Amino acid sequence: MILSRVADGLYWMGRYLERSEHVTRLLLVTEELATEVLGLDEELARVEWSDMRAIFPDGEPPEAQPRRLAALASASVYDLSINPGHPNSVFFSLKKARDNARTVREALTTEVFVNLNDTYREPEGQTRRQIADHATFRGALGTTHRGILSTVGAIEHTLTRDAGWLFLKLGESLERVYRSAVILRVKLPALLSPEPKIDLPLFYSRWRGLLRGLSSLENYRGAFGARMEPADVLHFLLFDPHAPRSLRYGAAAVKDYLDRVSGATELSQPARIMGKLAAELSYEDRDLIRQGACLPFLDHVLGEIGRGHDALSTLYFGT
Amino acid sequence: MQWVNAKSGFDEIFDPHGRPRPHYGPLLSILESFTREDVERRERLQKLALMSQGITFTVYGEKEGLERIFPFDFVPRIIPAAEWKTIQDGLVQRITTLNLFLLDIYQDQKCLTDRIVPPELILSRKEYKRELLGVIPPRKVFTHVVGTDIIRSDTGEYLVLEDNSRCPSGVSYVLENRTLLSRVFPEFFGSYPVRPIKDYPTLLLDTLLYVAPRPSQSPVVVVLSPGIHNSAYFEHSFLAREMGVPLVEGRDLLVEGNHVFMRRTHGKRQVDVIYRRIDDDFLDPLTFRRNSMLGVPGLLNVYREGNVALANAPGAGVADDKSVYAFMPELIRYYLGEEPLLPQVPTYLGCRKDDFQYIAEHLGELVVKTTGDAGGYGMLMGPFASAKEREAYLARMKKDPGNYIAQPLVELSLHPTHVNGRFEPRRVDLRPFILYGDRIRVLPGGLTRVALRAGSYVVNSSQGGGSKDTWVLAPRDA
Repeated sequence: MILSRVADGLYWMGRYLERSEHVTRLLLVTEELATEVLGLDEELARVEWSDMRAIFPDGEPPEAQPRRLAALASASVYDLSINPGHPNSVFFSLKKARDNARTVREALTTEVFVNLNDTYREPEGQTRRQIADHATFRGALGTTHRGILSTVGAIEHTLTRDAGWLFLKLGESLERVYRSAVILRVKLPALLSPEPKIDLPLFYSRWRGLLRGLSSLENYRGAFGARMEPADVLHFLLFDPHAPRSLRYGAAAVKDYLDRVSGATELSQPARIMGKLAAELSYEDRDLIRQGACLPFLDHVLGEIGRGHDALSTLYFGT
Repeated sequence: MQWVNAKSGFDEIFDPHGRPRPHYGPLLSILESFTREDVERRERLQKLALMSQGITFTVYGEKEGLERIFPFDFVPRIIPAAEWKTIQDGLVQRITTLNLFLLDIYQDQKCLTDRIVPPELILSRKEYKRELLGVIPPRKVFTHVVGTDIIRSDTGEYLVLEDNSRCPSGVSYVLENRTLLSRVFPEFFGSYPVRPIKDYPTLLLDTLLYVAPRPSQSPVVVVLSPGIHNSAYFEHSFLAREMGVPLVEGRDLLVEGNHVFMRRTHGKRQVDVIYRRIDDDFLDPLTFRRNSMLGVPGLLNVYREGNVALANAPGAGVADDKSVYAFMPELIRYYLGEEPLLPQVPTYLGCRKDDFQYIAEHLGELVVKTTGDAGGYGMLMGPFASAKEREAYLARMKKDPGNYIAQPLVELSLHPTHVNGRFEPRRVDLRPFILYGDRIRVLPGGLTRVALRAGSYVVNSSQGGGSKDTWVLAPRDA
């Protein structure tokens, strides 16, 4: 059993570290996709950047976004990578992960802290420089992404499996399922539009982009082959029991960590909320997709994750 | 490699004829064997290691870059065994006296009755806690951890500059400096019998367990920190980690039924010993500063009842008041019947009329300090201050003379330090750490702080200071 404050710090360290991985990965994918389609369909490139800003919002209304595509892309790259004032930038997320790690330093191994600290220092150094060009930007972001994954590896390989580790993993898994649901919620309306306004190859590029944005392209191919069927992609991302980025797997992981945190005592309120959600995701099937009920269902998922977070914060952190 | 010898003051490495002192001979030979590029490469590695591991301190009052690396100079300071014995014996004598003094002034006040120290001087100090009169800490230990600042006169004599008996910091850098040096310059260690220091956290934990109120029931020890924004937060976290005990903040603790508990995710747990790194005034808003958010309401009552041990004990801060320092030689004679083994710097007290007059007339030759401040804050370096600055400072002194002391400017010793590709003399001091548990132990080493700016006397980390690894050599026949 650990201090409530330490549990809180580890939980948020897990959440911010996971968030930094999401935004880094999506920036790399979006930048590549937007570049790829630029000559073919400028509007599509614009949508990709607008989606990115909707997934990682900064409180500004969409009308405030730059109108010219080049300006929108540059602003998005800057805001979401190294802007220290953007609440979802890579830099901000890593800073928050590190700030939390510093408050619970005694609960971490040297390997975890040093990896995280080094990873944070890379974008911190960039905040003092201009983004030179896209190749440099991609190189730097790639380095940061590897640093984040290396930190996650250090967590897996060096932290003892105690209550602290459980809270860290709880934060990580809750952020993962939440952020995956947000990505789906933002991207699906256009992708599920009955009459795609774009060429078919581009249409499939976007579905492929969605899978890549959720680190799931190879896993999807492993399950369904190279054929890109939207219903299969949706089924995979929502209900696959084994893919680590599917909502079903994510909710079950959160439930599992909550059960282990509460031990053999009675079912806790957050475990109850997340358990129900995991059960729903286990029993839902293609009917939901056929009926076109994905978007309301995703709203429901996001609401329940929010309730789960509130319940666990109240129960364990006293906040 | 280029070496610049000191023009004034005691040079730690070279004698007045420019010859290396015998105990530095092997080190100089090794350094001479390096190329400049090699040294610079290793220095870069050293800086990277400090950044990676987050070995930093926090500077107050800066909007950005709150965290700073504590600069480390790789040329170690070497103290021969015989010199260290003098320092160690002197420190044991001094810390024994400080503890006896604290026991006395919070109990019978004999030293005040006997006018060894003027009662008004002690009783007027804000660090003297009337609320704790008659409250004797477990095992009668007030000063569990002390860091005493030592300098060397121009003849090389070791002098005590001040005692820090509240929450002395710096020991984490002592330990990390040793690790860093052994990784980056492993060649240095082959030629010297350097006494180890890495068992400090174990000794500290033993010291804390010694005063636990429930010694037979696996006592729970915690480190109490003001939090991440404190300048010494790295050290608080480091010591908790090294001792394997929880690092707590005030909000993690609560008082119930005259016992202290930690708030945990699944219920409370009683705490027995608190190594607190928070000043007295912030410990308990019900007893001291009412608006403090850092402490624990009701903590002092639990301490009074003997249900928790606090290290250092509340009220111990009065012992490192700069006015009390002036009376230390007399106090050593009074309590121990011995002559002081370590001399100290002559001190003029603002509260004495004659002394104040002298200070006012010789301000240009003296270093004036406020009695309650630390870290080089509130200080006037008379010889380097302008007439206008001295005038303004004197005006402040006149409003509260008792808050000031003055000392002649002592020429700190100088130690060659790697600056801009060559070895230049820089002023240094030394802070050994002393633990008071079942007996008094002095860590064989200490924090050598170095004024990195050329000509500077200020070694404080907050004002441009750095540090060096400090080697105490084992006796030849050991």
